[in-house]
Amino acid sequence: MKALLPPLLLLIAGTNLFAQEKAAPQPLPAVKPATEGKVWGALIFATNDAAQLIGTQEKPPAQLGQFHERLSKVFGFKHFEVLGQHQQDIFREYESWVVPSRDLFLKIDSNGPADNGGVKLHLQVWREQQVLVKSDAVLRLGSPLFIGGPKWKDGRLIFVLLLERK
Amino acid sequence: MKPPSEDHDLIRWLDGEMADNELAAFEARLKDDPVLAKEANELSALSAGIRDHLPAEMRIPHADFFNSQIQVRIAQMDLDESRQKQTGNISLADSFISWIRQPWFATAGAVALAVLGFVWMRPHTQDTAHSLILSFYTPGLGVEASTYHDNEADATVLMLDGLEEVPADRKISGISVHRSETELEIAATTLFDAAGSPLLVISRDAVGHPLFLTNTPRG
Repeated sequence: MKALLPPLLLLIAGTNLFAQEKAAPQPLPAVKPATEGKVWGALIFATNDAAQLIGTQEKPPAQLGQFHERLSKVFGFKHFEVLGQHQQDIFREYESWVVPSRDLFLKIDSNGPADNGGVKLHLQVWREQQVLVKSDAVLRLGSPLFIGGPKWKDGRLIFVLLLERK
Repeated sequence: MKPPSEDHDLIRWLDGEMADNELAAFEARLKDDPVLAKEANELSALSAGIRDHLPAEMRIPHADFFNSQIQVRIAQMDLDESRQKQTGNISLADSFISWIRQPWFATAGAVALAVLGFVWMRPHTQDTAHSLILSFYTPGLGVEASTYHDNEADATVLMLDGLEEVPADRKISGISVHRSETELEIAATTLFDAAGSPLLVISRDAVGHPLFLTNTPRG
């Protein structure tokens, strides 16, 4: 019974939420929880065959500069496409989820500010119900983290994480 | 207090170092100077007493060893000198070899290597301005991770290899999330798009696996 409680609560919350969706946009919470910064996370599809691109119109933040060229230097593919993206606060006291896609997403726990700037994080990369890697990392402003994920079609899925602001 | 020259004469007289004419002149002074004569007699008696209590010969400890080492060193110096005479001057290689033969070289070299090793092996957490992967763990069998910083891309890379491929016919869809709200009471996070409309609700099951609720069908 206890195990059924979270899904049940989630179902109730989700039902209420989506029932209200058409009525009005959700108001921002009155008290914002403490944060350590804000990240941008994205799921990228890399391929050498332009015909395999889905054709999304998602754009990376300007902060990343020559994004495709940088990805190409690491992964060697010719074409890159942002499948989904997520701007997320890093909560100081509890976990944060970065979910640009339900297929590949990230759980973040803050370990506090880093000595020389940036944020110390515990990262978990998830593929549906399976955790692919757990990692302790220091994320610094403007310095992206490229995570080489599973192969897909003739290319590869890549997760990119960037600390946008402290 | 006697002048230094008088002290010096007294010591030379005691040690028997004076020439005949000097000795005659000094003994004449002793006769004329009772104070100097008294001091000379006292020092002479003291000196005789010390000599009586010391052995006539003192054996040098390990004298054979010292002698042999000195002879070896002299032989080496002679050999080096003859080589230098043959070559005209010391070659750079000879100079280097003789330098590294110095006893302190091994210690200094070890210290220098330790310092270099520390600088080289030091974790790049001190002065780097880029993101870092401090540690990683891949729970899946056959999955391996590696990390490095790509200077050309100016990015930190965490490469996962050995992952199961996503089937080619599987549709991978993305979403664009602009903000989130977390309900602490039910440990659920709602993700919203740019227009403020909810996209997804995330919670966790009893074992900590993520649970999704969405208003759009999967895939």
